[in-house]
Amino acid sequence: MTMTQSPSPPNSNDDKPQAVSEVAQEANQAQQDVGAEAAKQSVPASVFVNSEPIREDQVSNAVKFLSHPKVRGSPVIYRRSFLERKGLTKEEIDEAFRRVPDPTSSSKPASLNQDGQAKSSSNVQTQAPIQTPQPVAVAPTGIASLEGRQFHWYHAVSAVGLLAASGCGTALLIKKVIIPKLKLWVRKVVLEEENDYAKKIDAKPSLAEEAAAAAKAAAAAASDVAKASQEMLNSKNEERRRFEEFMSLMDAQVQEMKSMSNSIRKLGGQASSSGRVFSDHDDHRVSASSTKQSYANGKVDVNVQLGRSSTPPASAEPPHPKSYMEIMEMIQRGEKPSNIREVNDMPPNPNQPLSNPLIAPRTKPWDAQNGSDHQVLQSQTSAEGLNQNGQDDGLNYLLDDESSTPWWQRKNVRITEIENEDEVKDTGPYGVRTNEQPPPPIQRTWVPPRPPPVAMPEAAEAIRRPKSTPKETATQEQSADGQSAAHPSEVTDELQRITKMSESVGALEMNGGFSTGNSAVIQEQENSYGEN
Amino acid sequence: MPVFKTPFNGYSVRFSPFYESRLAVATAQNFGILGNGRVHVIDLAPTGPVINELIAFDTADGVYDVAWSESHDSVLVAAIADGSIKVYDTALPPQSNPVRSLKEHAREVHGLDYNPTRRDSFLSASWDDSVKLWTLDRPVSLRTFREHAYCVYSVAWNPKHADVFASASGDCTVRIWDVREPGSTMVIPGHEHEILSCDWNKYDECLIATASVDKSIKIWDVRNYRVPVSVLNGHGYAVKKVKFSPHRRNLLVSCSYDMTVCLWDFMVEDALVGRHDHHTEFAVGVDLSVLVDGLMASTGWDELVYVWQQGMDPRAS
Repeated sequence: MTMTQSPSPPNSNDDKPQAVSEVAQEANQAQQDVGAEAAKQSVPASVFVNSEPIREDQVSNAVKFLSHPKVRGSPVIYRRSFLERKGLTKEEIDEAFRRVPDPTSSSKPASLNQDGQAKSSSNVQTQAPIQTPQPVAVAPTGIASLEGRQFHWYHAVSAVGLLAASGCGTALLIKKVIIPKLKLWVRKVVLEEENDYAKKIDAKPSLAEEAAAAAKAAAAAASDVAKASQEMLNSKNEERRRFEEFMSLMDAQVQEMKSMSNSIRKLGGQASSSGRVFSDHDDHRVSASSTKQSYANGKVDVNVQLGRSSTPPASAEPPHPKSYMEIMEMIQRGEKPSNIREVNDMPPNPNQPLSNPLIAPRTKPWDAQNGSDHQVLQSQTSAEGLNQNGQDDGLNYLLDDESSTPWWQRKNVRITEIENEDEVKDTGPYGVRTNEQPPPPIQRTWVPPRPPPVAMPEAAEAIRRPKSTPKETATQEQSADGQSAAHPSEVTDELQRITKMSESVGALEMNGGFSTGNSAVIQEQENSYGEN
Repeated sequence: MPVFKTPFNGYSVRFSPFYESRLAVATAQNFGILGNGRVHVIDLAPTGPVINELIAFDTADGVYDVAWSESHDSVLVAAIADGSIKVYDTALPPQSNPVRSLKEHAREVHGLDYNPTRRDSFLSASWDDSVKLWTLDRPVSLRTFREHAYCVYSVAWNPKHADVFASASGDCTVRIWDVREPGSTMVIPGHEHEILSCDWNKYDECLIATASVDKSIKIWDVRNYRVPVSVLNGHGYAVKKVKFSPHRRNLLVSCSYDMTVCLWDFMVEDALVGRHDHHTEFAVGVDLSVLVDGLMASTGWDELVYVWQQGMDPRAS
């Protein structure tokens, strides 16, 4: 009220009371508006919005993360998701993004491809032992780079094969061609020697020279051949080594491809013949990057790939039903299960108006206990609801007259598997609804044992039992009250509170306190009705 | 306790907010992988433990979730695996149904929640990473909330603040949103693994429970969301759904791939207060009645729907 006095009224001279009252009204309104706004905004704003200040250390870590070249290749949303999972707030993430220049999404795939190919070639050349994480790192960069590498792979493999084949071919050629030539040549020489044996004396020196020359040539040829074959062997060994390297890399790649294809299926697949791999939270075949890698050290956990979590902790996936696995296999083979039929589930009239509601919405139990003004509303709505409820469901229920409570409202007080017995006993067999709606009309033999709040029950009872007069109901209630023995007023209060389900105030303790008195009442009631 | 057998695998069960004895069940053929779906509206017979089917609606694709309207007692909405949302009115003749087909999501719609305070709008959570806001009188969505990096599995309105809701996603975060704000107002990195379900405490609007593939349920206070209020361990496999009791502040119920339905009191040291292993396959749907204290229902891939009173054995006859 001090606010009304502080602003000086503009027309303080004339019409003082009016001005003051006007100002007071305005100030009041302003106060109310501000209050309302504050109430509107402050509760959700202060509670459902995080109001932590920006933590500089987290932001700097995020900047380091975002500056990493591998991270720059990944889509923005996965970078954000990773940071969110690390516990950064939106403001901190935005600040980190602001500080790090962001490559555009269009240039990402291009740089991706180059990175991928450069990496694969460096892998080949350096034979680094960290080949597995690198293909893993490059794998998320996409199919394009993968295809590039595949292309590269097949290139290399076919080159190796060609080399090996040509090596073998030339070796064979040499063996087949040169050696027979040699042999022939040697034979020639020998024959000539034999033929020219007569001309030995003259031909000897020339023969000898020729032989020597031939021997030299042969030796040279042989050494050449030896060299060539050795070179061949060396190159073959080298090729074999390289081939094995490639094979190991290829195995890694095949695994990557498998995981990629799984993820592609999951991401892109519609419900067409390819089916639906939806239990992906069970099947985690993401390769072994660990989310436990220390983020603070700036090392990159580039498992941002598809925002997918790593394998579930410790246990295997839950055992799926056998037929589930069969159906999955069928889908993966491309077969459609035979029990599917064509169903047209489109609305015959998309503009069909909805039918009018028969019942007014019923208040929720958690709203019911908030304040007395709700009670008034409740009585109105529930009275209406009763009317219609009586008409609607009453027809069904009237057929089964003399039956006791519907089984779902019956609560077995004795059997309590739950350890928290107090809570169970608390509500008892009539612990039905807390929005003041009494049970369906047929239970003429079963009166709600609780003495209901004042305004309600007469109206409700009167509506429910048009035959019985209010007097009868009053007497019935009185008798019920009388039966509740010792302290009717106390019990009334207790039961009223129970009815309103005011558990938010000291929940369990109160329930514990009430339950004893309550259960006594319940049993008494039950006994009395059992006799009826 | 009665049992209802569905021809297809169960996915979700919901009590009607208008009729104590009425439930809706969402089912999908072939475990929801590929096939038709069906929405059942069932009624508990007052006399004996019998469940009658009032009506069933067939759909071309599996139904993952169903939600009753809070404004019309005969209207329910169904989340379909082909990305559409079908609206059914049980008061109209069957050949007039569905009355609407809202097709905007690019992928399966996995979760639905109807606003219990304002009663005029509902949310849909989809595997296309987005959440959409709808009303029954409009053929197009009012808002689309797109921030999650992976499938959104579940969405839940705050029981006190009509504009606030939470979404649980496979990107391991829970986001709090206000429909008056353009983006999310809070991000809770709740688990190291996918979060499959979330629900608000009905008596304390700042408490939210999250259920995750890591087999645990965590209770968070949004005012101090760095550390959970409570961590509930006990399930053997991923927890599929969690629901706070509409009648008791501290009670919540959960169902899991370990085929059990568990009751918890998160304020107590030894939080597990009840466990039911009546299902013979994954228990994927559970609900507590708003109208009848202690009445609960569950469904699973074993094609059965159980309805029982808290404290009793669901399989008792």
